[in-house]
Amino acid sequence: MTHQRETTAAQAGRTFPTDTAVDFVIIGSGVAGASMARELTRKGYDVVMLEQGRNVGPDDMEHDELGAFRWPRWTNDAALSPQTFRTTPDAKAERRQFVRYARAVGGTTLHFTGNYWRFRPIDFREYSTHGGVAGAALADWPITYEELEPYYTAVEYAVGVSGEVGNDPREPMRSRPYPLPPLTVTGPGVLLEIGAKKLGWASKAAPMAILSREHNGRQPCHNCGFCLGFPCEWGAKSGANWTMVPDALASGRCELRTHSYVRKIETDDAGRATGVIYFDTDRKEVFQKAKAVVLCANGAETPRLLLMSKSNRFPDGLANSSGVVGRHFMFNGGGSASGEFEHEVHAHKGPVVTRISQEHYELDPKLGLYGGGGFDFRIANPALMRTNGMPENGPMWGSDFKKRMRTWFLNSVDASGHTTSLPVPTNAVSLDPELKDAWGLPAMRVTFQEHAEDLKLYKYFQERAVEFMAAAGAKRVIPTPIRTAPRQTVHLLGTARMGNDPTSSVVDKYHRAHDVKNLFIVDGSSFVTSGRGQPTMTIHALAFRAADHIAEFARKGEI
Amino acid sequence: MDDQAQADASIDAAPVSRREFVAGVAALSAVWLVAGAACTRESSWGGDSTKLVHFSPAQAAQVDAISARILPSDDTPGAREAGVVYFIDQSLTGFAKDQAPLFAEGLKSLGETVAKKHGSAATFASLTAAQQDAVLRDIEKTPFFGAMRFATLAGFLSLPKYGGNKDYVGWKMIGQEVVMEHKAPFGWYDRPENQMALLGKVL
Repeated sequence: MTHQRETTAAQAGRTFPTDTAVDFVIIGSGVAGASMARELTRKGYDVVMLEQGRNVGPDDMEHDELGAFRWPRWTNDAALSPQTFRTTPDAKAERRQFVRYARAVGGTTLHFTGNYWRFRPIDFREYSTHGGVAGAALADWPITYEELEPYYTAVEYAVGVSGEVGNDPREPMRSRPYPLPPLTVTGPGVLLEIGAKKLGWASKAAPMAILSREHNGRQPCHNCGFCLGFPCEWGAKSGANWTMVPDALASGRCELRTHSYVRKIETDDAGRATGVIYFDTDRKEVFQKAKAVVLCANGAETPRLLLMSKSNRFPDGLANSSGVVGRHFMFNGGGSASGEFEHEVHAHKGPVVTRISQEHYELDPKLGLYGGGGFDFRIANPALMRTNGMPENGPMWGSDFKKRMRTWFLNSVDASGHTTSLPVPTNAVSLDPELKDAWGLPAMRVTFQEHAEDLKLYKYFQERAVEFMAAAGAKRVIPTPIRTAPRQTVHLLGTARMGNDPTSSVVDKYHRAHDVKNLFIVDGSSFVTSGRGQPTMTIHALAFRAADHIAEFARKGEI
Repeated sequence: MDDQAQADASIDAAPVSRREFVAGVAALSAVWLVAGAACTRESSWGGDSTKLVHFSPAQAAQVDAISARILPSDDTPGAREAGVVYFIDQSLTGFAKDQAPLFAEGLKSLGETVAKKHGSAATFASLTAAQQDAVLRDIEKTPFFGAMRFATLAGFLSLPKYGGNKDYVGWKMIGQEVVMEHKAPFGWYDRPENQMALLGKVL
């Protein structure tokens, strides 16, 4: 067990003592944490990055569908980190896993799809555009698209995003074209294009964090098809494990400690963060001193850790004078449909997504719907999950089922819609009062119920998906039932929202906690509204922007 | 042969062997070479896939017979050729061990149903295919059948190192190739001539 630290030291090329305050301790090595580490080390600061999971190297990457989807080979594990769930705050939560994320170096980008959609200006000003929605705490972001644009561009060039500037005049300005051309189109991509052409809908090559050409010494996608849910053996899918983490470690200023599970951010009597307490590989407590703490544990674990970090000075949890830590939990919704086609599509080959339609990004106000979204065509899962989840419109076992399995696997595609979801104050991550995790810490408790306006939007997208599939030429179209909580969810947003007003938000526009001067919170929790389906690019750009400002504060002695 | 070597050997027929390709990828970055070499596997199963580790021989015979009705051997291989029973047997001591009671109770109850309907000497495995299907149709909506169905599919389509999908017969049956990469065109619709006919251009 002790070799883990030695490995870490070898990776980093150096180690930092725990009893001397390092410039920054970063909690989490996902896209946010690893990007903060890369950017802060490039600006000359020393960082210790703590990751609860392990380092998944190439020999631990396999086309193992059972590991990816059935037993948690790379994701959070109910046996270690159980969760509870309820729909309303007055109900008792029952044991159930609701939140899913990759528990490994690189975080969920280890196994993501790689959709790297930018937000558009509307995503930052939903409230001023639409006005309020009853039962939702809709608000504008304290930053604009224009402020974030340079960072979107920097991210695209840092990781090598493949894509094309479409000819849709509703797309926002960009300062540079995509660094890499689009990925090779797949069968689902062609079908999307056929449907979009027939309906007159906007469509274009998908912006993807997957390499279409060699970039920074990494090779392009080999179209293996085991993509969503799987780490990329080729290093072509640009998860933080292949991009931000190696860059940070190569700086010689970053130590990555895996199997390091933080239980508390420690503060002193003056209300400043002094460092973090974590359990190491052997579940021994370690205190790492730091001049500043950067919390990037994801939209569900970040609020949990803040709530666990309560003290006499911060009785309701750290950085929670507003009472909104954990609240406004969002993830993206959607509406979809499956289609069976005359010829073999072979949607299991290549990247999950190669073409998208953002025709419905902003909806006609006359529809009376809040929000919007976009579509791609895909099959999300490989053979087992795809055939197990076959629509129940024929035999589900026996010889005829076996024949259907093959046709369904080779000839079917889904029109997959991705949408906004509203920030509802009672939808929240909190601490379960009874259940403990494997380290004896309070388990994550989720309270969640879809807002009625969201369900109307999902229905609208489901109807458009049916229309899209038919236009693409499907012989048979099957609407996908709209799934409501408690389904498992992966986009974890909004639980430590950004804002100018300390009474209604957790961090300011530079990701500094309103209540703690040397605590910065950067990940999906910072989102004020959900965006339209694909949050990772915005988390990434926010981290680049935050690092710029935080380094400047450090330089001026303002931390 | 350990699990990994077994999986490697099975994939070696592919254009790029898994071992070559992992080595190639690892060599891209010294950082990851170190990381990869020291990486620990947190779990593994498998080994001898023709020895029972959980079921009694009688239980295994019933599970084998049920799985063979869910995915029958007909003009293509089914659960039996894939060794699904060995997969389920191993999984109930591993990642699916929480389901062991469900299987034990389900098999017991199935045995009682068969005895009541066909006489005390009868077992599910001894019935004709038509009789077996009739019995299964009656329990189609039970949690036991649901678990049996998923486990059969999983044993048919998971990596052979888990005990089933022998020689990748399951993957081959549904059209999942045993390769580490694909080249365009992938299917019918993205062939350039079909794109041209359907879209008037090649994307």
